[in-house]
Amino acid sequence: MMLFEVERLTYRYEGVTAVDDLTLAIPEGSRVVLLGANGSGKSTLLRLLDGLIFGQSGSILFRGDDVSEEHMLDDEWALPFRRTVGMVFQNPDVQLFNPTVFDEVAFGPLQLRWPKDQIRERVDEILERLRISHLKNRIPQRLSGGEKKRVALASVLVLDPAVLLLDEPTAALDPRSQSEVIDLMVEWGGGSKSVITATHDLGDLEDIADRCYVLDSGRLVAEGTPAEILADTALLRRTNLIHAHRHQRGEEVHTHPRR
Amino acid sequence: MSDFHPNAKGGFIENTLEGLHFAIERALYAEVSASRTGLLQRLDPRVKVAGLFAMVVSVALATKLWSIAAIFVLAVALVAVSSVPVRAVASRTWIGAFVFSGAIALPALFLTPGTPLYGLPITLQGVRTGSFLVMRAETAATLMLVLAYTTPWTHILKALRIFRVPVVFVVILGMTCRYILLMLDTAHQMFESRKSRTVNRMSPAENRRLAIASSGVLLHKTLQMSDEVYLAMQARGFHGEVYVLDDFAMQARDWFALAAFAALAAASILVGR
Amino acid sequence: MHIPDGYLSPATCAVAYAASVPFWRVALKRVKKAMNSRQVPLLSLFAALSFVIMMFNLPLPGGTTGHATGIGLATVVIGPWAAMLAVSVALVVQALFFGDGGVTAIGANCFNMAIAGALVAYLIYRLVAGRSPLASPRRVVAAGVAGYVAINFSALLAAVEFGIQPLLYKDAAGAPLYCPYPLSIAIPAMMIGHLTIAGLAELAVSAGVVAFLQRSDLSLLRATAGNVRESEEARPQGAPRSLRPLWLGLATLCVLTPLGILAAGSAWGEWMASDYANSAARHQITSASFNAAVPQHAPQGLARLSSVWTAPFARYAPPYIRGAAFGYLLSAMFGVGLIVAGFLVLGSFTRSAMRAGPDSA
Repeated sequence: MMLFEVERLTYRYEGVTAVDDLTLAIPEGSRVVLLGANGSGKSTLLRLLDGLIFGQSGSILFRGDDVSEEHMLDDEWALPFRRTVGMVFQNPDVQLFNPTVFDEVAFGPLQLRWPKDQIRERVDEILERLRISHLKNRIPQRLSGGEKKRVALASVLVLDPAVLLLDEPTAALDPRSQSEVIDLMVEWGGGSKSVITATHDLGDLEDIADRCYVLDSGRLVAEGTPAEILADTALLRRTNLIHAHRHQRGEEVHTHPRR
Repeated sequence: MSDFHPNAKGGFIENTLEGLHFAIERALYAEVSASRTGLLQRLDPRVKVAGLFAMVVSVALATKLWSIAAIFVLAVALVAVSSVPVRAVASRTWIGAFVFSGAIALPALFLTPGTPLYGLPITLQGVRTGSFLVMRAETAATLMLVLAYTTPWTHILKALRIFRVPVVFVVILGMTCRYILLMLDTAHQMFESRKSRTVNRMSPAENRRLAIASSGVLLHKTLQMSDEVYLAMQARGFHGEVYVLDDFAMQARDWFALAAFAALAAASILVGR
Repeated sequence: MHIPDGYLSPATCAVAYAASVPFWRVALKRVKKAMNSRQVPLLSLFAALSFVIMMFNLPLPGGTTGHATGIGLATVVIGPWAAMLAVSVALVVQALFFGDGGVTAIGANCFNMAIAGALVAYLIYRLVAGRSPLASPRRVVAAGVAGYVAINFSALLAAVEFGIQPLLYKDAAGAPLYCPYPLSIAIPAMMIGHLTIAGLAELAVSAGVVAFLQRSDLSLLRATAGNVRESEEARPQGAPRSLRPLWLGLATLCVLTPLGILAAGSAWGEWMASDYANSAARHQITSASFNAAVPQHAPQGLARLSSVWTAPFARYAPPYIRGAAFGYLLSAMFGVGLIVAGFLVLGSFTRSAMRAGPDSA
């Protein structure tokens, strides 16, 4: 069975068609990247997959079930879905809305009505695993970008989701934090777990993905392995994922694509 | 703000920045101090909230000056054992409360009808009433200071539920505090960037327009963020009801402290009426 | 204007809390119904915004600075019920963690500024804005007036709360236990500061930000707009160059009314039955009436009526207020309030007539 089956999905908001007649299928246990420049619709697609917003036409199936507004109102289906599919937002200030780090990580389990002892244990465990136990009682505002990202990840991983949706996970992070996040994703994913990452960063594509879907103006324009996509420079330039870079040294002028 | 005194010579931006800075600093300092180990830090937050609020109420109910003075002395003693940095912070609170309430009480010395004092234009009643005002202000401020510096603010909020405050308000209060810091930072950045681009002093009208434009920008940010935060909340299972986790468990010392607070409050109410 | 601890008796504080709770309950219910749990982040963020706005020290015409609460702005953008909750939350945070406003006075502060403020601001805004298009300058003026009136009404409530303290709560020696200033001092002291400074700050923020929103995102004003004349969706023309005429007009109105007293004697025709018996008053009536002879006794109709209805503010000055000028000021504001209420009632009649059919009225 497919993890997600998107069938002719269209989503319009305030006169803009963010997702346009999109069809794709993501198998179970895959590591997928939704590749696209800003405004390509990749973030919107993630939110559609997570049942946070709903398209005007078309459908999304999660393991054969309809991800629809009506279905989301059915607690019996919706709550397990929320546990199984976890999403990390791009803007940490949006993701971190609780007063302290501990409260933030405990929020998910609390809303899903886990027993209190289990919550405390699990939160401590996940804080330990992400090496942020020392931040337990801190306000999210005062943390560094990398620390915020780890708290954001912790707040989702605490539920042990089978599917992880990541929106621009390395955006606005310093290089070391970026590589830490990548390592975490690589370590966590694999096997039965699925990771769907939306990004425009071509940097670590081969590390984090087995399959890429390239989006442009809300449409799917290409799919393939990272190697295939990276080799297609014409495609990358067309979709604004790279630009030609020209420089002149003395009499010599050469161009090369720059990520 | 009762204990922030704007620099009269400073322009709008400077004063507002200073005010913002002060607020942020104060919020953070309380957070740090509350995590230190001291006598009061270890008590159950519900005991502290209930006990200190009861003391504030008994200050309000008191009709004798000396009973308010007694509570004040007690409050100062609590400050001393709470590892509150007495010099910097506490004195700022005490001086601030004194100046503020003193300024308001001053005309009362002359205006309150009653028996004149030593041939001066002030009356005995005026002196008494002025004393009531200043003493109540100082004592209440000190008690709240003890609470703020011995209890993490998140615990104070969760402890409010003993007053039958609904959970949704506790959650909203917590989220508000968290986002106040974000808003203050954003506002600070907006003013800083404007200040750095300004060569001459801005006219009052320009300053006002900056404040209004900043408010407008912050309003946009408010509405946009609230939509996004709602999505983030839903993504983690929020669907109407909110739940909070509190680690509070009463121990022997908490019961003892609660009894002590109750006895003090009862005594001061009975005696002070 | 945040009332600190120790200025209001516990009884007054308790009454204020008791008055606030039903409003908070109703507000929460309505907002929950309208927003379906979206209100949790919205109220939090709006409360944070209100908190930050309360910190801005705004320069005002005349060289002074003042603070606004943002209640007018909040009411226009998210409606009165959400606004009263958001501003209440901001006030609670200020009292609990920043020492601004007393803990015992939270009920009173919320009632004055958040609850009464939001309701008054909403009424005034709807009244003044009418059905004008979202982008019209009239809405900017409406927001400004709404904020101005709301904050002054809040100040008046606080002043009354202050002013009754020395009447009711004294110790054995006769010294007031809480606020020592009676209404005759509390009301002018509060009102003068708010009519001039704080009111202007509120006006500036309400009007200014609404004008800003008209240019940046018109849809944000839709929530409280009611039935807008669709055919006249004007393009935003920006705020009036200066709001000076507006506050000047309001200030003049409130301040000049005491000057009415300075006009010689009672206004012609406003004589009371007892004036007829008073020889000095009779002399004034005579000279004002071109020396026509004055009847010895009050006209029978007047005598009968005057005993039936003794206006609450008989002679415009409640007896406990020393100083006719300030009594007049108070009465003027109540009068303005009554007139506004009257227009509101009238307005709702005409609106239902208009709804009955486009051809009627």
